[in-house]
Amino acid sequence: MIIDSHTHIDEAKTFGWIDPPEALLPLMDEAGVDKAIVMTYRDATSPDDPALTYVADAVERYPDRLIGYVRIHAEAPLAIATLDKALQTHRMMGIKLHTVSYVGFPYFGGTLRVMRRAAEYHAPVLFHSGDETLALPQEIAEAARLCPETIVILGHMGGYFHVEAAIRVAKSLANVLLDTSAMPYPAMIKRAVEELGAEKVLYASDGPGCVPILEVQKVRLAGLSARDEAQVFCGNIQRILEGVSHDV
Amino acid sequence: MTFDFRVFLGDSFDGTRQTADELLTRMDSLEIKTALACPLKPLSYNLDQANASLAASIKENPDRLLGAARVDPWQPDAGDQLRRALEIYGLHALFLNPWEENFQSDMKRLDPLMEIALEHRVPVLIASGYPWVSEALQVCELAKRWPNVPIVMSNGGQINITGLGQADATLALRQAPNLHVDTAGVYRQDFIEETVGEFGGERVLFGSGAPYFDQRYEVKRVLFAKVDQAARLAMQSGNARRLLGLKD
Repeated sequence: MIIDSHTHIDEAKTFGWIDPPEALLPLMDEAGVDKAIVMTYRDATSPDDPALTYVADAVERYPDRLIGYVRIHAEAPLAIATLDKALQTHRMMGIKLHTVSYVGFPYFGGTLRVMRRAAEYHAPVLFHSGDETLALPQEIAEAARLCPETIVILGHMGGYFHVEAAIRVAKSLANVLLDTSAMPYPAMIKRAVEELGAEKVLYASDGPGCVPILEVQKVRLAGLSARDEAQVFCGNIQRILEGVSHDV
Repeated sequence: MTFDFRVFLGDSFDGTRQTADELLTRMDSLEIKTALACPLKPLSYNLDQANASLAASIKENPDRLLGAARVDPWQPDAGDQLRRALEIYGLHALFLNPWEENFQSDMKRLDPLMEIALEHRVPVLIASGYPWVSEALQVCELAKRWPNVPIVMSNGGQINITGLGQADATLALRQAPNLHVDTAGVYRQDFIEETVGEFGGERVLFGSGAPYFDQRYEVKRVLFAKVDQAARLAMQSGNARRLLGLKD
């Protein structure tokens, strides 16, 4: 079984990325992906934000294939109310924070408030991590250190040039895991598993733009043991999702 | 018949290394017939010597390996080094690395090198997408000054896992018809597909960037791209052969 821990559905004309769920599903089929965690490209700013209902509607239409995360503008005044509605009403399973998108430092302000609220639901917080200020693994590490109860996932494992830093962060902080999406080096997946244990690495594609079949191949090229590969492909995210509650 | 338009040979100051034998063995396993090899920057920083070593390392396999001359434009004898590499060492292209040689890719100091490239009818490959030195629109400025020199931007012209470099890369391709991109590590597979959709298959070349990128994985980016067969063949081989003036 394969669960993709990081994909997108949205119609974000600003970026030119028009990716309804129907664009993602055939790519999941092509790659042998059973389920995918979906989130928008836009950051929801209020409980009534269309970004929230876009994901909720998609999950309602494809409940056996899609799992919803809410992507939140953490500095928005109604960020916590948005999170609450996503988790309680729409039964979403996690939070996506893209600090570059909403221009917020990971280690203070609204980001920390959202992380602490997420921890009350035992819901994971998936950060975009990469090579630019606001998304550096070292910056997110400070946020994770300040919120030790929050499950933090470094999306993209630090991007192109901060992969080793992401591995160091995950090694030093018990609450930090890595996702493999878009990061282009199979050997670094192997290294992450060797240094962290397979339980801290999640398969993810960042699809549909980063095609799932290619991203699955990347994990296979890492040459993990069958047991470790199963953990990466589904065991770890299943474990995390099983812990999420929808009431606080 | 696949042609890898960008690989590296030699020993780099950063510890990266690859020999011709290692490369050819892997190329055989992946059915890659030919590659354009660039010298890694040695610890001595002597690129003229690196060009000579590259020429020596590929001379036994002229039907499999071609070489690109790497030149540091800050060196007072940069033009002489390029002429020597093309005329005496028998190399087939100019490779510029603004990141490792520390220069901006739109600077006028490059013009004498471009003049030599034009005179010898060789393409110019530029390590692109690096902040401050080789963003796509910086490379575009050079391409617009030298419209008759084919220029290939590595990494799709953007090494940016936010995807925020893609619009500039597309704008650069739109503004300079002599610009091309290679596929190594490109963020989002649909960037390759959309580039082919807007500009045709002739502006995209398969380049792996090995050993920095995993050739086993990079070759799949072109294989899995949802483009027509003519475009795929152009990316896999036809464009490289055309730019290098090779007969079919």
